[in-house]
Amino acid sequence: MASTKVPVVRFDETTKKFGSLVALDRLSLDIDQGEIVGLLGPNGAGKTTTLRTLLGLMRPTSGRALINGVAAWDDPVTALAQVAYIPGDVAVWPQLTGGQILDLLGGVSGGIDEGYREQLIERFAFDPSKKGRSYSKGNRQKIAVIAALSTRAPLLVMDEPTSGLDPLMEATFQACLREAKQRGQTILLSSHILSEVEAVCDRVAVLRQGVLVEHGTLADLRHLHAHTVEATYVGTPPQLEGIPGVQDVQIADGAIRLQVAGSTDALIKALAAAEVPSIQLREPSLDELFHAYYEDDATERASA
Amino acid sequence: MTTSTPAPDTTRPVTTASDRRADLPPRREHASRSSVWFTLLRHHLRLLRGGATAWILALTGISVGVVATFEDRYTTQAELDAFADLEGVPAFEAMLGRLVGLNTLEGGVLSRWGMFGILAAVWGMFAAVRLLRGAEEVGHLEQLRAGAITPRALLSSVVAALLATHLVLAVAIGVTHSAAGMDPATAWALGGAAGLLTACFAAAGTLASQLVSTRRRAVGIVGAALGISLGLRLIAAAGGTPDWVWWTTPLGWLGFLHEIDAAQLTVLGAYAVLLVVLLAAAFVLAHRDLHAGFLGSSDDTPRGAVRPIRGQASLARRLTLASSRTWGAVIGLLALTFGLLARDFSEAVADLPTMVELADAVGWLAIDTAEGIVAYTFTIIALLLAVFAVGQAVAIREEEASWRIEHLMVRPLSRTTWLATRIVHSLAAMVALALVAGVGAWAGTAIVGTPVSFVDALAAGLNTVSVAWLAFGLGIALVGVVPRLTAPLSYGLVLAAYLLDFVGGMLELPEAVLELSPFAHLASVPVVEMNLTATGVSLAVAALGIVVGLVAFRRRDLQEA
Repeated sequence: MASTKVPVVRFDETTKKFGSLVALDRLSLDIDQGEIVGLLGPNGAGKTTTLRTLLGLMRPTSGRALINGVAAWDDPVTALAQVAYIPGDVAVWPQLTGGQILDLLGGVSGGIDEGYREQLIERFAFDPSKKGRSYSKGNRQKIAVIAALSTRAPLLVMDEPTSGLDPLMEATFQACLREAKQRGQTILLSSHILSEVEAVCDRVAVLRQGVLVEHGTLADLRHLHAHTVEATYVGTPPQLEGIPGVQDVQIADGAIRLQVAGSTDALIKALAAAEVPSIQLREPSLDELFHAYYEDDATERASA
Repeated sequence: MTTSTPAPDTTRPVTTASDRRADLPPRREHASRSSVWFTLLRHHLRLLRGGATAWILALTGISVGVVATFEDRYTTQAELDAFADLEGVPAFEAMLGRLVGLNTLEGGVLSRWGMFGILAAVWGMFAAVRLLRGAEEVGHLEQLRAGAITPRALLSSVVAALLATHLVLAVAIGVTHSAAGMDPATAWALGGAAGLLTACFAAAGTLASQLVSTRRRAVGIVGAALGISLGLRLIAAAGGTPDWVWWTTPLGWLGFLHEIDAAQLTVLGAYAVLLVVLLAAAFVLAHRDLHAGFLGSSDDTPRGAVRPIRGQASLARRLTLASSRTWGAVIGLLALTFGLLARDFSEAVADLPTMVELADAVGWLAIDTAEGIVAYTFTIIALLLAVFAVGQAVAIREEEASWRIEHLMVRPLSRTTWLATRIVHSLAAMVALALVAGVGAWAGTAIVGTPVSFVDALAAGLNTVSVAWLAFGLGIALVGVVPRLTAPLSYGLVLAAYLLDFVGGMLELPEAVLELSPFAHLASVPVVEMNLTATGVSLAVAALGIVVGLVAFRRRDLQEA
């Protein structure tokens, strides 16, 4: 028996076009069992298209999107038997009660852990006796969260799953994610809430205009990016011109703030030439990383 | 290297609240109330445009068709007199309202408005409920109400848009009918009355939209009001009822538009008063919570045990049943009513040989017998079933358009299985409705002692199934191929096919064109046997449509609204 392990999720040169618009451009990405991957990117970057293509709601224009080696487009019954999905915008049947909808979704999923579902209903303080039309956005979101988690599916796919949840419920949700992680479930999570991604994800994939621009562990991403240096000086400011990798230098009133990418050796030598009583070198926060991506994107859009 | 001041963030002076206020951009000038109102009016007109155009063209078209063909249809005085003999015959007045001056062009056209008026009322009601409660239910009104406008001003913008479409109907009828040769005063009175009748039912829809919190219930209320209006008209038509009873129902007022009665202004005034009363009530109730209804709702306290829904088949059953029940009640009652009237109808017609010949010529066979009346009834039932069928296809599309389908399609369920399950339930519902109509017609005739055989009545019902399945099959093909056009195209096709059959004959269109309509091939069961060839062709096209729909749906992206 060959021991080549099939990844739980595989995007293989997946491309999705809508007319002339390329929503997803040759995305290649593997996710192995037990991994938690965050999918990040500004609005319109192609995150939802990525997930919908994976789930077989859309057909890739070219390339493949596979779950355990099976394309959901070709064989949804096999591919999706192992998947639970939480959409970001949940529409429900207005005439059915929350309980009926949960029963329905459980039934279609092919069985759920009833005990766990009861526990989730309690933890999310969800009232299943009301009609679908009377639920708030947050409560509709809870239906999708409870329905998905109670399947205990090996793969959880989520598209901004906490949108609409209040901070308490968000915390409950993150606790559920951590439990899922401990149980070895694989998770693909698209989110704008960076703290959420930072708290639970092992790896991050960044999409911009349909292209995977960055991919790796958070540590990898940080290394790729500029570090922030903040220092104070006394007397003559240090000479920082022409140092490779240094940018965005701000010098005023005895304080220096700059960004440095790559080796810090030349920078430290230059600083040492002046009187520098304090220096702080900080790796970029996820927030800063993504501000950089988002701003690039906004600039490109503006220039277009 | 670039250097820049100001200093890093930490050294920035603390700003105070008043500083920040000063930092705000100058406040944008408030748009004037009237400009907001007109923006909303334009928005609502845009939403109404397509549907209103279709309705106005259809109503004006079929009515002006009657004007244009009247002289060709009744060429001799004998024929005109035969037609006029229908005045005061209860069975006919039950269907058409008060009949006056039938031997004149005006009388002939006005008599048709006993039927057309019901269509206009249905349009008025649905348009208003869709724009108000429908939009509120799906959340579209929320953003509008968050604008610089009061709830009543918002309501008034919707009402103004609705009334504008009714005004267009009135003018269209006035212009076309006088141009086609109708007495101008009567033509414009008819136009005004048609516009106002539509407006009254739109106003009823507006009021119902304030009373209850769902579109379905609002339609139910206005539907009941329409039913009561029709019931009162039936009572007024019964032999021996005093003439004033016609004035108890807005559907009866149309019967006083003939110049013989010299009551045209009274009729218009009556509609205007009703319109004002209904709108005033709606405006009083309009200042309320978003999503709330004056009568409250039972959303929070589902009564009794909730029936479990264990899977997609169970969901399909539930969703199909909900609409089928209402339609079953309407179609069953209609068939029952026609059954009850069958004896009177056939006996009255038996004395009018010219009438029988005329009916025969347009394909309504043997209407001097109870079987003939039942067969005629089922031409109307066939239309209703086809509309129901198309509604089922549109409801299936709606699951996708609302994106509720996502819940199901991300689970181990194939698209084909999901769609096929919905299709099977809908097809079964059409058969059930046809049988309900058959039973209703049989029961009606049995009650008045001229029973059509039970088997014949059921056969008459089942005969209509092929047309309904055909409409549904085409609807499913549209769901698969051009999902976003499902509703307009499928409803449009059914309406076009029916009008082709209904008006085409009067306009003496070529046979080949007339035969495009499946309704033209519907045999007058139980007077004659089912047309097996036509039924076979309809079923084959239906099957083809379903297969195309299933295959195309399987192969395309899911599409939101």
